[in-house]
Parts: sequence; structure tokens; C-alpha cells
Amino acid sequence: MKTKILNGRPIVPGHRQGPALVSKKPLSFLGGVDYNSGVVIEKDHDLKGEPLKDKVLCFPSGHGSTVGSYVLYSLVKKGLGPKAIVNQVADTVVVVGALIAEVPMVDQIDIKQIKTGYIVEVDGDKGTVKVTSRKG
Amino acid sequence: MYLTKQEERMLDGEYGWANQVSMKILVRLGDLFGATRLIPVQSAHLSGVSYKHLGDAAIDFLNELASKGGRAKTPSSLNPSSLDQEILVKRYSNDRVVKQQNIIELYEKMLIQPTLTCTSYYLQEPKPGQHLAWAESSAVVYANSVLKAWTNREGAPSALAAALVGKTPNYGMHQPENRQPNVRVKLETELQTETDYGALGIHLGKLLKEKIPTLEGLRGSDDELKQLGAAMASSGMTAIFNTETLTKRQKLETVPVEAKDIEEAKSSLCTTEQAPDLIFVGCPHCSVNEVKRVAHAMEGQKVRKNTELWVCTSRHVKERAKNHVNAIERAGGHVLCDTCVLVTWIEDIGLDTLMTNSAKTAFYAPTLNDVNVVLRPLNQCMEAACQR
Repeated sequence: MKTKILNGRPIVPGHRQGPALVSKKPLSFLGGVDYNSGVVIEKDHDLKGEPLKDKVLCFPSGHGSTVGSYVLYSLVKKGLGPKAIVNQVADTVVVVGALIAEVPMVDQIDIKQIKTGYIVEVDGDKGTVKVTSRKG
Repeated sequence: MYLTKQEERMLDGEYGWANQVSMKILVRLGDLFGATRLIPVQSAHLSGVSYKHLGDAAIDFLNELASKGGRAKTPSSLNPSSLDQEILVKRYSNDRVVKQQNIIELYEKMLIQPTLTCTSYYLQEPKPGQHLAWAESSAVVYANSVLKAWTNREGAPSALAAALVGKTPNYGMHQPENRQPNVRVKLETELQTETDYGALGIHLGKLLKEKIPTLEGLRGSDDELKQLGAAMASSGMTAIFNTETLTKRQKLETVPVEAKDIEEAKSSLCTTEQAPDLIFVGCPHCSVNEVKRVAHAMEGQKVRKNTELWVCTSRHVKERAKNHVNAIERAGGHVLCDTCVLVTWIEDIGLDTLMTNSAKTAFYAPTLNDVNVVLRPLNQCMEAACQR
């Protein structure tokens, strides 16, 4: 087990921990994530087929329609949303979505340091992300 | 960001959940983008109306807001919906019609006017220098550049939050220093038609991203500048352009635009040479003058068999252009209110080749509607629409 703390910018307050789901690609919630299942459906996306439920979702940035904020809100309401969000650069779609859904969020994090499956603790008040790798 | 006592209380939830969540959105965005305070807005214009794009997800949030006290505090208007009440309402499933109606009713409950048009400025024209909170990128560029009002490029939720609070954070386009051009576009060709203006917009949007261009000495009509701005905002993040001539002392990066750039943009927006089954004018929604141009072109003509002609506009403009509307309908065309091609399901009603004079529609329709597109100026669109 190896633990490191990454310092970023606090975006949405709250403190949560969960397994990381990491993408190298920008994600559009509208059209990119299925509203009924919470599974990524964006064509050619590296997370295609992955459910977001209870994951700490780490991706570079959001893109696409601003209606995407509402999709994130509904997924969380239905219990299909991510536990927390970590971005390289926060964009308004994801910021507003995380805010209205009350999902803790931090940005300005080098997400290359996080791998899918690592245990991640997001502190949206302080803007820190604690990453624990499973490997020894 | 500085907040008044009352704004603080709203943020703390004293005025109910809808006001609180709206305030949270405005304050968070204001903090992120360097606003110092909230300023009142003269109007809000909201995107996020068409059921085709919103889907069921947004209904949950709108429902929550409407039932927990969300009420507009500034005159607020709505973008087009996924259908009109005469033609398309009969062509879609009951489920779609009911859900679309539900969305509009939720907005109405929040005292937002169901104008259902992307050119709400024809109903109520903002004055120069007024602060607005508008979504719908084509209207944002038109407001900032042609009407000289001041608005950021809001998204659906932030425009809604501004409507419910009646204020917006004072960053970006609300600061005079952020409205100054930082690149000079040197046009080395004459623009002939509204489609040329649109093609220029697509070219510049891609090239300039968020930079603010000045197109020195460009003298297009308001309708032509509407096409330019709508296209620029589609391929780029533009919120404003300028047409004033700069003084010699202002040294700016210069970008030349040649005839071949316009031609290339136009040909890149055409995906087929096939005959269209739908001819569409009205993206952004037509002005009275544009409805008139269509009516004149259709005089003594009939729309070709197996072809549809749609002219999309607001109810307000349709009423004002009544005589021209009658002429278009006599020729077999449809004048549709409350909707447009991009926000409806043309691909589901057997229409698969679209001809339009709008570069914005040509830019989006292949992906949003999964149809083939031919981009042509209005007179050529009308020739294609008519029987020989």
C-alpha cells in the first residue's frame, strides 16, 4: 500500500472515499452517459460500458451541452451517480452538475497519478485528493 | 465575491431550496471566474427546452425547482421546443408530446414565458449597455455584437439560476475590458449572401476559439450578421464580435480571410449533392424581413411533390408577417412556430436530406439529426423547393 496526497482546488464541498474510475478523455454527460443506467455510452470513449455508480470519477474535463449538468443531478438522485469527482480542469457543465447534485469535487489535479481501482479520498472543502494504491 | 445581507440569507436557504440552489450556482461560477459581486439583469433567456435534448433527466430537476418555490424575478424567455402545435404535434408519439408539454408547464409554473424562440430579441429588444443572462449562443452573440447589450454565454442551468435570482455574477462580458477585440480579421473577399456570412462564421469560430475579432468595415444587414454570429458560436466559443475600425495605434494580430477560405467552409458543410426532401429556413428563427424574402421567392410557385418547405420563426413574428405567411402557405410551405430542425426529430419522420441557408444548421444537423445536408443561399433553396 502506497499513499500520496495531491493538492488541488476545492470546487464542491464534502468528503467521500471510493474506488477510482479514471479516464484520459473528456466526458459529456449529455449523450455520453445513459440516463437510465448510469453507464458511459459515448462512442470511442475509454470508459465505454463502465457504470459510474459509487466511483470516484477522475477525468480531464467535461465537454458538450450544458444540459449535461441535469443528467449528473438525475443520476445521483437515482443512486447511479459517482461518489466524488476529480478533474484536471473544471468546466461549468461538471461544476454546476456536481453542485446541484451535491457531489464533492476537486480540480487542478494531475489525474495521471491516479489509476482505476485505487482507493481515493476526496476532500472538497480543502481541495485535496488522497490516493492509495492497492499494490505493495 | 461580495454578497449583500439578503443574498447571504438566500444562500443559507432562508428563501427556500430553489433560491438557495440557484444562488449556489451563481456564487460558485462567480468565484471560479473572478466576479466581485452579483448585478441585476434586465432579462434572462433560457436554453434547455426541447425534450429531444433534455431527455427525462432535466424534468426531475425542473420539477424540484418548480415545486420548491422557484419563480422568475426578471423577465425570462424560452428557447424552441421539440415540436409545434400544428404540424409536428401530429407526427410524433403521444409520449413525446406529453413530456414536451410537461417541460414547458414546469417553466411556466416558474413564471418563465413560453416564447419558444431563439430570437426573443424580436419580441423585446434589449437596449445597449443593459446586462442580461442569456443562454442560446446565437442570441448571445447577436445581443453583444449587434444590439450592444452585455451578456455572458450562459449555459442552461446558469441562465435558469439567473432567472430565479434576477441577478448574474459580474465577470466576463459584463466588464468593458473583456469586450475589446484582440484580433483583427482582414476580409480579402466580398461576401455575397447570408450563406457567405455563415461560412465566414464557421471558419472564424474554428480559427479564433475564444478570441474577440474585429471585422473592420464589415457592413452586413442585421440578418446577415445574425448568420455570422450564430455560425461563429457553433464552431467556436465566441460571445462577441466587433465591426468597428481600429485606430492605427492599436496593434493587433491580423488574420486574413480569402475567398478560398469561404468556399472551403461552404463545401465542408455540404455532405451530399442529392436532392433534398426538406428545405429549411429559420435558423436562427426568421425575422419579419426573412419571412418576407421567402414569400416573395415563392410567389406564383408551388412546393415540389415529396418535398417539404419549413420556415421556422416565433409566434410573434408569424403574427406580424401574416400576409407573407399566407403567401408561403398558399404555395404549400409550412411556417412553424415554437421549434426548429435542430431540436426536433426530423430523422424519425422520413426526412433524410436537408437543404438550408443556415451554416449553423449545416454544422450541427449531420450529428444532431443524423441527416445529410446541402448548404445554399435562400434563392437557391427556394428554387430547389419549387416545381419546375
